[in-house]
Amino acid sequence: MSSGSEPLAVSSRGLSATKRHKSVRKNSRRIYSAYQDHQGSSEDEGKDDEGVDSNDPEEMFQNIQYQKEIIANIRTRPWPMRRKLRVLKQAREIVLKYEGQLTRTRGYQTAGADLLKKLYRLLNNIVVTFIPWEVRIKKIESHFGSGVASYFIFLRWLFGINIVLTIMTGAFVVLPELLAGAPFGTTRSKTIPKEHLPSAQDLDTIWSLGGYLQYSVLFYGYYGRVRKIGSAGYRLPLAYFLVGMAVFAYSFIILLRKMAKNSRLSLASASDENFTFCWRIFCAWDYLIGNPEAAECKGAAIVNNIREAIVEEQEKKKDTSLAVLISLRILANILVLLSLAGSIYIIYFVVDRSQKLEQEKPELTLWEKNEVSVVVSLITMIAPSAFELVAQLEMYHPRTSLRFQLARVLVLYLGNLYSLIIALLDKVNSMSSAVRGASGNWTESSSFLATVSQPETNGLSTQMSARPNITLATITTALNFSNNQQVHLGTVSNQTGPLEKSARSQQDQCWETYVGQEMLKLSIIDMIFTVASILLIDFIRGLVVRYLSDCCCWDLESKFPEYGEFKIAENVLHLIYNQGMIWMGAFFSPCLPAFNVLKLIGLMYLRSWAVLTCNVPHQQVFRASRSNNFYLAMLLFMLFLCMLPTIFAIARYRPSEHCGPFSGQEKIYDIISETVATDFPLWFSKVMSYVTSPVVVLPGLLLLFMLIYYLQSIARSLKFTNNQLRLQLQTERTEDKKKVFQLAAARLQAPEPAADENPDHQETDGTSKEASIHTTPSPRRNGSVTNFQSPGNRGNSIRTISQSASRTKLNRGTGSGSVRSPAVTIPKRRVEYIPNRPRPFIGGPSGTCRSKSCLHMAYNSPAHCSDSNQSEPLYRKTVRPLHPAEAPGIIAAQSYGGRRGHATRYVIINEHESRKKLLRSATRIPCHYVMEEPAEILELYPRNIRRYPTRTTHHQPHSYRSHTPQHLSKEEEEGEEERDKGRRKVSLGKTHRPRSLSDLHQQAQFYIGEGRNDNHAARYRVQEDDEEDNSKGDKDWVDLDFHSPAQVNRKSAEPGRSGHHLRYPRRPSQSPSRSRHLESHVKTKLRAKLETPLTESDSASAASSSDQQNSSTDQYIQVIHNKERPSKTKLDLNFTESQDLVCSKV
Amino acid sequence: MGSTSSQLDKDALSEYQELTFLTKQEIILAHERFSAMLPQEYKGATNIRLPMEKILEMPELKSNPFNKRICHVFSTSQPNDGSLTFEDFLDLLSAFSEAATMEIKSHYAFRIFDSDNDGTLGREDLEKMVTLLTGDSKDTSLNGEEMGQLINNILEESDIDKDGTVNLSEFQHVISRSPDFVSSFKIVL
Repeated sequence: MSSGSEPLAVSSRGLSATKRHKSVRKNSRRIYSAYQDHQGSSEDEGKDDEGVDSNDPEEMFQNIQYQKEIIANIRTRPWPMRRKLRVLKQAREIVLKYEGQLTRTRGYQTAGADLLKKLYRLLNNIVVTFIPWEVRIKKIESHFGSGVASYFIFLRWLFGINIVLTIMTGAFVVLPELLAGAPFGTTRSKTIPKEHLPSAQDLDTIWSLGGYLQYSVLFYGYYGRVRKIGSAGYRLPLAYFLVGMAVFAYSFIILLRKMAKNSRLSLASASDENFTFCWRIFCAWDYLIGNPEAAECKGAAIVNNIREAIVEEQEKKKDTSLAVLISLRILANILVLLSLAGSIYIIYFVVDRSQKLEQEKPELTLWEKNEVSVVVSLITMIAPSAFELVAQLEMYHPRTSLRFQLARVLVLYLGNLYSLIIALLDKVNSMSSAVRGASGNWTESSSFLATVSQPETNGLSTQMSARPNITLATITTALNFSNNQQVHLGTVSNQTGPLEKSARSQQDQCWETYVGQEMLKLSIIDMIFTVASILLIDFIRGLVVRYLSDCCCWDLESKFPEYGEFKIAENVLHLIYNQGMIWMGAFFSPCLPAFNVLKLIGLMYLRSWAVLTCNVPHQQVFRASRSNNFYLAMLLFMLFLCMLPTIFAIARYRPSEHCGPFSGQEKIYDIISETVATDFPLWFSKVMSYVTSPVVVLPGLLLLFMLIYYLQSIARSLKFTNNQLRLQLQTERTEDKKKVFQLAAARLQAPEPAADENPDHQETDGTSKEASIHTTPSPRRNGSVTNFQSPGNRGNSIRTISQSASRTKLNRGTGSGSVRSPAVTIPKRRVEYIPNRPRPFIGGPSGTCRSKSCLHMAYNSPAHCSDSNQSEPLYRKTVRPLHPAEAPGIIAAQSYGGRRGHATRYVIINEHESRKKLLRSATRIPCHYVMEEPAEILELYPRNIRRYPTRTTHHQPHSYRSHTPQHLSKEEEEGEEERDKGRRKVSLGKTHRPRSLSDLHQQAQFYIGEGRNDNHAARYRVQEDDEEDNSKGDKDWVDLDFHSPAQVNRKSAEPGRSGHHLRYPRRPSQSPSRSRHLESHVKTKLRAKLETPLTESDSASAASSSDQQNSSTDQYIQVIHNKERPSKTKLDLNFTESQDLVCSKV
Repeated sequence: MGSTSSQLDKDALSEYQELTFLTKQEIILAHERFSAMLPQEYKGATNIRLPMEKILEMPELKSNPFNKRICHVFSTSQPNDGSLTFEDFLDLLSAFSEAATMEIKSHYAFRIFDSDNDGTLGREDLEKMVTLLTGDSKDTSLNGEEMGQLINNILEESDIDKDGTVNLSEFQHVISRSPDFVSSFKIVL
């Protein structure tokens, strides 16, 4: 294994490479713990070890699972690659090694999973290559930033939708019609009228989508009305209707899904929280920008933005409501409204005119034919610029004006489309009435024709309504009529003459085809205008600016013409408008989506080319992802509004008599009821009639409303709870701070009584220790003691209790076997694990809650323990430190305002001295102490603090905690060693671990003997990378002193590392040069040197400690999780340990 | 590692895929780009460190105001000189890739902004950052008063515990609320 990892872990940190080959296991542990140091969960570690040793398949399986988890999540760790590689190798090896020992099925399962994963990755890789324009977009992205790219991504997404729509209509409507429908020229609706035939291939006819195009699958009118076509009996009309509806349904679903996904991504928050300045700074730079020009632009934009923000802030209070400004804005709005109304009127007028022209002239000029769409496109092109000019009048903030601009343009587009479609429908209306009038007129004038056919075609009511129109209609349709008669004469027909004639007269009047034609025409013209505008406005302008700037008297590039800007927002709006047209016309022209696909492809290439060659990014940065949902919301709005006219037309108008799949029906949607009635079994239609009866529909509607209301109220209450939680968090934070100050004040005031109390307590503790080694004092007792000691600060005391409990737990854990070594690392791992995933403020239980739960667990765990002897003294010891912490806190109080780390450190000193004097005076070897103290001053604190701070919200607890370990270690080493060494040997071996865990006084010893230091250093070097000492430490306690420093060192290194990950920035130099750093500590016996880096980190961590509440939620959850786990006795220990440790950290 | 002169071997490739957020194509592209920057005589050698100056010549990083900081953050070299191995380079690209999580991105962003590497964004860090963003020239850079106000505002918004600095979790809190951080904190080759 080590040989395997060696080539990977090359160069820089390979110094420990030679000392690495102990055994696979050890090695694994090393790397493993390196992993845990930073994250991972402790119970897994415990499991791992059990699994490795016990051969219990269940545990082994869990171990393997855990390893797999590592493998799966490794990429989310912010580690350097080498480290990830190492851990990955390690995890894989363990999996490989032990997987074989499992049952065969499991092996197969995992192998299968592996294979699947590989396949999945392969597939992913393939899919990536098929994403269209990926490279192109990335290129744009890297030049112009994410804003511009978002336009293209949006375009691509629309392209995807249109492809699906095309496939839907193509597969279910167009292809069947082409394959199985009646071929061209067989039926009347599929033949070009004789009089049009000569001009059917003329370019202008084709251009205006007449002639052959009109009688093709492009439009509604071509589709046959035969209910079932082909040998398979394909129900084309039904399919046509269903596909038409499915287009809308699909669009809705895909839009809503995308929106939901987006809003999930953006956390759906940010509404009431405002980080204007932070965002402007932290998120200002678009890292994608690679083009120097764009970078310059962006830089200028950022500066502007920042300046703006500052000025805004400065002038927030100033009220600048000038009458002039208001009147200007009113004027601007009036102008905009006028232009909107004007554009709507123009469109309506043009449609009206074209209708009249059509009726008056037999042949229309090219302009007259395309008038409508050209005018509409012109308006859509010119009006936005006009709006922009008007917006300058208003003098809004750029962002506001952008929003106004967008809203106005959207309204304009919608107005255009609506007035167009309304005008068209109006025309349809008059068209159908004209048709009716014509036929009515015809019946009257030509009496020789059988009137029998009349009721058939028009129905009684139509005739009635047609009467008043007759006078008007006769004039207008005179031309048509005569034509029809000629046609009639010319055609050889087997059918009855009258029917033929009336059919002919109406064939031209297929309003669905007409609407489809208009929409398609509009789309085409729009495309032409877009292309023209890109070429003329952007390209030519770009050319002029670039090449004529030398021979011009002013700087073309920076003054008047400049380069064209890429206006993301307006371009996106244009895309939306375009899509709206497609939706509007898709029902009447099934090939419209297909056309749109082509159009989008062209647009993609043209736009990307134009952007890369002749555009500069817009000055006003329209933020990408923020706008994403904005785009989509507009698209949704558009979809809804575009669906309305279609639905209206479907529901309101009668389908044309003689063309299209629904000809002859009263309403288009009758096809459904017809199919239900004829083609489904009887019971189905019965059921349908029940379902559609008011009896069912009304309650259903009511239910829907209720549901909506219910969901809404839930959403509201969730929002409320959200706010509550946030408030709670805030108050808690302020309260924490208050507490700290209160405590400091309290200490200042009453140092004496506490000092008095101290000796007593310690003495009792000492005696009890001597007297009862066998009886375990219940943790509760400790709890009460602690409470007593620190009244008024329940939360803290609770925490301390739990910690002491955990400590004992640890002891036991280590004592029960050398295998336990991982237990030491557990806490670390846990500790570091959490901060890495910030769960900001989501449902975090209050601090007190958490601590309580911890307390609970702490109680539980001791109950499990088997060797209570060990734990007992520890309890007492841990209790004791609490006093000193408060009593001698005189100094601490002073320095609280500043860096907590320092403060606590001093506290310790005092405490130790007092303790020494009071308790141990007789038995102690003084020199021991003398040596220890300074070291402690330096190191203990930093260590502890560094370790704990991350998860504690309260500063106070730090000091408590840090005391506890010290005492522990001290007493164990000094008191216990001396009293009964024989027994203590074991206990020392055991207790040793917890000590190292909490970075106890070993550190101190580390400095005691100068001669030793070299040893440490040497050892340290071995361990610094490998952390192999765990197992060793268990076995030889003689070595303990030497050994433990090393461990401590390791620990001291670890916080560095962990800090590196979690709150990395703490020490820059540390992570890369961690090893150096530490070694230097060891070797140089100068305290000063040691102190600096440590205090640095320590204060940093202390500073950062206070807001880790986010993560503590996480912890909390995990604790519970552990508890629930079914555990075997061995595992149990580990689990509970981890729990305790977690608790201590809360 | 284990790369031949022009190609990554398969194992390494799959490992890199496992360890980064990059797709196979992206890794290969990254490797091409990286080895293109290597001087001729080192082609094919493993674990070459590209000096920071070379890396900064890449157009993707060239105009980035934080480019030096980025190199320093991702460099694993012993005296932190900002030089990158291929693996460091991959780390960089992975953190800046599309698929990288918010946590990773904000973590690295924090490190990039923390120019004194002390684990918090103090006033000096923020000041440096703003200066990097605005540039040094007279007309763009902010004067002392503006800077002071800007930083006060930033701290007011983000410094939840009011200790005068922005730490990682505060930073991540702010960043996670930002709608466009993830989309703009990207570098693509």
